[in-house]
Amino acid sequence: MEKYICTVCGFVYDEAQGIPDAGIPPGTKWEDLPEDWVCPICGATKDEFEQEESAPAAPVVEKKAASDVASTENVRELTPLEISALCTNLARGCEKQYKPAEAESFMTLAAFFKSAAPSAQDPAFDQLLTRIEEDLTEGFPNANATAKEVGDRGALRALTWSEKVTRILKSLLTRYAKEGDAMLENTGVYVCTICGFVYVGDQLPEVCPVCKVPNWKFAEVEGR
Amino acid sequence: MAVKYAVRNIRLCTKDCLCLYVCPTGATDTENSIIDVEKCIGCGDCADACPSGAISMVPVEYPPQQPKEGTVIDAMRVLLRSKSKQEMIAAGLPGKLAEAIAMSNRIMAEDIIREAGYMLPQSQNTQDFLQSLIGEEQAEGFPQAAVEKLLANLFADRGGKSVSDKTYENLMKAFTGEAEANRKYTAYAKKAEKEGKLNAAKLFRAAADAETIHALKHFEVAGKIGSTLENLKDGIAGETYEYQSMYPPFVAEAEAAGNKAAVMSFTFAMKAEEVHAKLYQDAIDNLDSTEEVFYYLCPLCGNIEKYVPDRCSICGALGSKFIKY
Repeated sequence: MEKYICTVCGFVYDEAQGIPDAGIPPGTKWEDLPEDWVCPICGATKDEFEQEESAPAAPVVEKKAASDVASTENVRELTPLEISALCTNLARGCEKQYKPAEAESFMTLAAFFKSAAPSAQDPAFDQLLTRIEEDLTEGFPNANATAKEVGDRGALRALTWSEKVTRILKSLLTRYAKEGDAMLENTGVYVCTICGFVYVGDQLPEVCPVCKVPNWKFAEVEGR
Repeated sequence: MAVKYAVRNIRLCTKDCLCLYVCPTGATDTENSIIDVEKCIGCGDCADACPSGAISMVPVEYPPQQPKEGTVIDAMRVLLRSKSKQEMIAAGLPGKLAEAIAMSNRIMAEDIIREAGYMLPQSQNTQDFLQSLIGEEQAEGFPQAAVEKLLANLFADRGGKSVSDKTYENLMKAFTGEAEANRKYTAYAKKAEKEGKLNAAKLFRAAADAETIHALKHFEVAGKIGSTLENLKDGIAGETYEYQSMYPPFVAEAEAAGNKAAVMSFTFAMKAEEVHAKLYQDAIDNLDSTEEVFYYLCPLCGNIEKYVPDRCSICGALGSKFIKY
């Protein structure tokens, strides 16, 4: 009997135990769980689980020279939407310091740059999956290796959270591609306002599976 | 000088109201539950008394932001770009899931850029960023006033807009050093006078004055001089910190060490600082009064009175020795 661990939230599926409450009898093999089974805590798909003890295959990352990566898209120059994110980030910083007037000024700036940003041309859900795949195979491994090299714990913290959130988005988008809007019918959609974790369902976890903040920090998406 | 001020997290407040009982200035007693920053002197009594942990002492000045390596910044910026593009794509798609994904990507982008050099709103990076916005040509509708307000509010204590983190730090270090040198040379001059070494005494007096000139200039350039009302409040905060927090343990430790001279020196100062704090408050209450007030300084212990006493209430020195201001 084997155990499988969710790489997003740490939930352990134990074949010997099963999950009787969810109708999965003890002794159910991992392979026999339905393809569309997801982590009961965070909603990650089976792909995001790793077998316990099979020493987690530390992906060997060929770290690109930062200059190579940077020059490919000229990342030093911020786009309007990036400036907008910078400003909402600084607004949050002011809010935490109990500076509501400054927070409001940064929000005004953020709104200006957001409205100045171009909209996506012919947006489609599969474009999101393509970018996520790139982030998971290149962006994150490269940034993680770079931050580790110089011992930047703050960057590693942010990368750990957003990589896990990225995996959840991948799970949700993969499900959505198969199930379509039925997946969202009569169910809540929530976003953790601290790390961006997205929860689709009606049993909000007590704390965020990624950043562990209490769930009153989640925002319910009302639909536009 | 007050280095922190109290803020209340209303979500955590259980209305036990101990903060109202302990606040020496009434700063916590407000109809909107927001602690009055104008009144708060940063003593921290409310935060200590609060049974719910709802009050935090927030620093007036934050330490310089942790430096970031260029390689990390670049690697993070690659992800920032990708998350930002995903936000843009999701924003163009219908439905709740797309909306959630747009929000999620914005939150990730915020966190990533925060860890790539934009943690603190008061940092040099933020100041440079805001200044660059003003320097560049912007599209119509650019909220210029909001940027100017931010520059003025967030960086006001650095002499307006031009003193960087490091320079500010250096100015304040130099101020402390020069101020210390002034007191030291004054003490040496007194000693030289007693010894009859009048030329040396003169030199020490002149040098002490020179250090004062330096100290005052550093202090001014650092942007630390406010309005008289602000300065009086700063005076109260400094004196209150000294007589409430700094001197009591000093006295106790000197007693334990059996150093009677130090006990006396600390005690006199502690009692005098308390009087000073009250006088500053009194001066705030009568700031607009035109009636002339005289102050009398005890040359022995530093006590200040508004009339000439028979004997100093702190050290017992004769009233006739008091110096009139």
